[in-house]
Amino acid sequence: MSAVAAKPAAGGAINWTAMAVGVVMFLILMGICYYFYPTGLMPLLLIVVGGVMIGFGVHFVPVGGAPAAMGQAPGIATGVAMLAAGGGLAGLFGGAWAAAAGQDALVVVITGGIGGGLMMAITCMMVNFVYVFGMGIPAASGKVANDPITGDSQAEFKSQGTEGHGLPFVSFVGGVIGGLFAGAGGTLIYLELLEVYKAALPGVMQITAAQVLPIAISAAGMFAVGMFLVNAVLTAYNITGTIEGPHDPKFKRWPRSVVASAVASALCGLVAILIVAL
Amino acid sequence: MEHIVFGIGITALTGALATVAGAAEDTESNIGSQGDPNSQVQLAPQMGFLHRIFNKAVAGEPPAYGLWCCLGAGFAWAFMAMQFNAVLAIVLGSVLAVFVQGVYATTAYVGRTASLSKFGQPVYVDILKSMTTVTMAHAFIAIFATVTICYLINTALGHPFPLPLLGLIWGIALGAAGSATGNPYYGKERQYQNQKFGAGVPISASGNIVRYAEAGERNSLDNGWFTAKIGGSASGICFGLIVFLELWRTILFEQIAAGWGAIVVGVLIILVFTVIDRYIEVWARKNYGPYTEAKEASS
Amino acid sequence: MTVKVEVIEGGIPHNKIMIAGIVSTLVCLYLTYLNVLTSTEMFSFFGGLAVIAALIWGSHTIKVLCSYGIGTGVPSAGMIAFGSGVIAMLLATKFGFYAPIVAAVLAAVIGFILGYVSNNILNMKIPAMVQSLTEMAVVGALTLMGFAALITGGFTFAGLTTGHVTVMGMTLLTHEQSFLGGCLIAVAFLLGAIAIQHPFNACLGPGWQQDRMLMLTAECGFLSMIAAAIMSFALISTGSAIISLLIAIIGWVYTYKEYMVLSKRDAAAWLDAKPIPEVEGH
Repeated sequence: MSAVAAKPAAGGAINWTAMAVGVVMFLILMGICYYFYPTGLMPLLLIVVGGVMIGFGVHFVPVGGAPAAMGQAPGIATGVAMLAAGGGLAGLFGGAWAAAAGQDALVVVITGGIGGGLMMAITCMMVNFVYVFGMGIPAASGKVANDPITGDSQAEFKSQGTEGHGLPFVSFVGGVIGGLFAGAGGTLIYLELLEVYKAALPGVMQITAAQVLPIAISAAGMFAVGMFLVNAVLTAYNITGTIEGPHDPKFKRWPRSVVASAVASALCGLVAILIVAL
Repeated sequence: MEHIVFGIGITALTGALATVAGAAEDTESNIGSQGDPNSQVQLAPQMGFLHRIFNKAVAGEPPAYGLWCCLGAGFAWAFMAMQFNAVLAIVLGSVLAVFVQGVYATTAYVGRTASLSKFGQPVYVDILKSMTTVTMAHAFIAIFATVTICYLINTALGHPFPLPLLGLIWGIALGAAGSATGNPYYGKERQYQNQKFGAGVPISASGNIVRYAEAGERNSLDNGWFTAKIGGSASGICFGLIVFLELWRTILFEQIAAGWGAIVVGVLIILVFTVIDRYIEVWARKNYGPYTEAKEASS
Repeated sequence: MTVKVEVIEGGIPHNKIMIAGIVSTLVCLYLTYLNVLTSTEMFSFFGGLAVIAALIWGSHTIKVLCSYGIGTGVPSAGMIAFGSGVIAMLLATKFGFYAPIVAAVLAAVIGFILGYVSNNILNMKIPAMVQSLTEMAVVGALTLMGFAALITGGFTFAGLTTGHVTVMGMTLLTHEQSFLGGCLIAVAFLLGAIAIQHPFNACLGPGWQQDRMLMLTAECGFLSMIAAAIMSFALISTGSAIISLLIAIIGWVYTYKEYMVLSKRDAAAWLDAKPIPEVEGH
């Protein structure tokens, strides 16, 4: 099906035809939005930015999956989609709170990002705490010889028969950056949907702005969670479940995820905006 | 001023509740072998190591706790909509959510074990009876504490999200924090007590989990007792810190410089944790030392 | 969680389950429309039955998809299904009587695009990916619609966003105490997302049996229906909620017992307080 001549063997390659189709689909979805609900175009664009931030950010989160729980692989021992969701939704919580307090949109989004980063910073620190003081195991990466940030050599700290364990400093930083991106992205989606609903729902439902507020908040919050999960799971598929952080070779797959997240977010965002347009 | 003092009191209370919730969550999931260490419990019979460990793989901890807490919050919301007293509504909601959790636990254990019949792993009815009730007890503590946090955040601190959505968010965060912190301690330290201390489990040893206890055969209550001492309390501190610091920075600094105050404080807290993490890492490298000489590490 | 999953053949073919699933789900959803025709809320329980029919279909789809080993846990499949389904479902509720059909079509479009995105852009190259994600988005949307009908008695946008609160004998209209305003949709979301992935997650392994897994799906569906029926006391009349609850409890007890019987059939042994059996070489 692919027109690319040299068919790649590994799952890491980029399918350019599909990428082009993805970009075209993205433009079509934008066009549909412009046709039915022109005022929704700018919010939809920002929703896509939020979705791409989630998809890109999840690549930073160091997740080892099941082997990490036995100290066989570096990273955090849980599923990538749900760990990112934990961090991102904690950010969404903070962002929504700031939005309710009437802060500036930029402040709201950054607050959401910091909330996600804070959650990941605490979690990553406690992971290393348990590894070092609970199990006596130092952190070591399996994918690189030296930590790209601190320059610490990794290989000799890797215990026999494993691919590494714990969170080297670069993975910690990756976790925090991932939390920042995920939290800010989720908050941006929530904020844009909330603005759309707050502006349009009173007219659609024939009620006052005060009455519409609980519905707007709930719907925007629920959709932000739903779109967050879609983007996070797509990214989890992209990295096939585990990644060590920004130094992992799998990190180079991010362009695929950016296109995928853009299409998925444009699609879901369009449908969510059409609720007030139709 | 009074408003801020009230907010700080609520923040402290939610932080304490979150600590309890985190500790209970991790202990519950370790008794049930939920989350990533579950893969070894599942693998052991295939390697010929039959065991008496509870194997309740409902889902990963974050989605599972997302459901339990969201369900508890949803029930509590419904009861409050029926004009129930808030405390009664939260307790009743948590009890009903725990009922759902218990049913899922039994079907998961029976289903997984029945699918392993090829390797001769039997279903133990006594395990089902004694472990399920203990996990339900721990799950009740975790759910009740989390739903109470959500209620306080919603009612006393004025967060705009309705109770069930807050339950979803904090339930997933609780599961993420608890599984991230607690899983290695159960997976490596307890399941593979027979392996070398202070090193990861060699991949070749996978499936050879410890199946015998100080006296008799090990069951999952022994695992809960063991992991509660570090894994559980560390998870509790992790979730407690998350909830407390997130609320604390918002309550105290939200009003400063139109929201930038909370952001600056958040960045500072992240930097503090970065320094602590780096200190722990360097401390471990210095004190535990490398496993092999550096020159052999070229491979 | 990465547990090795093997492809297992046999049992009722997937297409049969799919067709039966979509037909019975839509029929059950439309039977809740009797509420409007008779102006009662007594037929809300059909929403719960729609949930169960959709879940049975969805759990088998998950089995088809996850047999390929998608690199991440089984639960994530449920999350993406409901994450895309929830948006389609809420837009569809704007179409009144046609809501269930619109939901199915819209979710199919979303699922198809998401399937194309994962299979081609993300280069997963799993043969069943596009079809499975399409089916699961439909299942997600219809399950949520079923929960909505069960809890509120209808599936129209107005019904989901308004509720009634009784204060001192007076009935007032409110938007805060409604399916959407109170965000009970979040509970329905997770109830469905866990119930759809649990049966395969709990039954995977070399001894997987189709009838046992589907019985477990029905059990999960009735269990979720019990939970939703309890919440429906807040939004529909007590008598109607009791009917839903009774049906849910009867169905749950029956399926739970049947599931235990099937598990006993498949298990290597069913022991009470016995030591670990001796195995040669260990």
